Amino acid sequence: MIYFDNAATTYPKAPPVEEAMRRALYEYGGNAGRGGHRMSMRTAEAVYHCRERAAALFGLPDPARVVFTANCTMSLNIALKSLVRCGRVIVSDMEHNSMMRPLFAASGRYPAFSVAHVGRTAGETVENFRRLITRDTVAIACLHASNVFGNVLPIAALGKLARERGLIFLVDAAQTAGILPIDMQAMHIDLLCAPGHKGLGGPTGTGLLLCGERYTPSSLLEGGSGSESLLPHMPDELPERLECGTLNTVGICGLSAALAYTAESDLATLYREEIARCGRLYDGLKRLPQATLYTPRPAAGETVPLLSFNLAGKTAEETAALLDREGVAVRAGLHCAPAAHRHMGTLPHGTVRLSSSRYTTAEEWRKVLQIIYKIS
Amino acid sequence: MNKTKSTALAVGSVTNAMRGRALLSQNGIVAEVGRARPDERTGCGYMLTVTGDADRAARLLNAAGIRVRSAP
Repeated sequence: MIYFDNAATTYPKAPPVEEAMRRALYEYGGNAGRGGHRMSMRTAEAVYHCRERAAALFGLPDPARVVFTANCTMSLNIALKSLVRCGRVIVSDMEHNSMMRPLFAASGRYPAFSVAHVGRTAGETVENFRRLITRDTVAIACLHASNVFGNVLPIAALGKLARERGLIFLVDAAQTAGILPIDMQAMHIDLLCAPGHKGLGGPTGTGLLLCGERYTPSSLLEGGSGSESLLPHMPDELPERLECGTLNTVGICGLSAALAYTAESDLATLYREEIARCGRLYDGLKRLPQATLYTPRPAAGETVPLLSFNLAGKTAEETAALLDREGVAVRAGLHCAPAAHRHMGTLPHGTVRLSSSRYTTAEEWRKVLQIIYKIS
Repeated sequence: MNKTKSTALAVGSVTNAMRGRALLSQNGIVAEVGRARPDERTGCGYMLTVTGDADRAARLLNAAGIRVRSAP
């Protein structure tokens, strides 16, 4: 199989993940942060080590402000449902449902959200956000890169705007964590939501919510936290305030190995190579009369390595099914991001999305183009 | 101050305890993480057993936002 569905979840995972998870089942079998026996403490050490690695990778000074979640969507739910209690949130018009649905769910009770148009230039986009700031705005929240069209939003500039206006800045790094450099301090990011299982190469069932010093979300779920049990509410301090119940320690150990592997990788070179290959695929599709592309040619710094396209006379789902028969795994349809398709005019059928990872080979990139020509 | 005396500092969660241990280590203070006796007000949690200057350790922890629930 040629796997081009890495924007949904990466396959294969980072090489050390399998062994780390296998070891975790035997060596870290205790419940972290609950008991005082040696295996529980050893497990808690492994969990804390993962917090340290995540904090280091994303420029967060305090590892205790790294919260483990089940996925990026859960991270976004925690952050957004806390923020909207304080006021209005401004989002972009290309957001995933993991951003839009929590806001929509809250919109009956709170002012909820305004939507800024992603412009053709970074300056235009920032200006569109700036124009929507009102007295009741509390936060700017946006994706770092579109999961459908790959375009990167100017998060450093948006972070600067948020800081200047005293707003909280939330970034959905679903498509960029482990692919593009993210420094929470330099980019003025207060809340960073990331999946463990995409660009970082960790296992499914792992997600991260990194909280800067300026904002501590309230709990979304409540339950056992292993400490301060006499309190009727969750502990005030992070991460326990936002982590109730037993942690996914096996997944966290896998994520920890993936984070270490990512930190040791030359991400800049890997990214440039992937974008160059994505560009060559784009050129190949551009020469195919039946293919429709929706974005400018992929360019480093402006896009992540994914492409959306359609073939004339076929729906996106039909094209994906034909590719599957040829051994190519892609995602078709709306990619849980109707807002992005509305922005690009690709409703109601959506697009076919090809998304690579650092493990996609040059041969696979060449072959997928040949197969698209064959089925077109 | 007795440099070899061990003192228990209750710090709440296991994460706080590990973060505190790292902080103290950076400041030349050896500490071990363990389960604390339940606090009458807040309940169970974790502690740092500090060898040496526990007053300084408590000050360092509090300054870093790690609230020491029971000081020496």
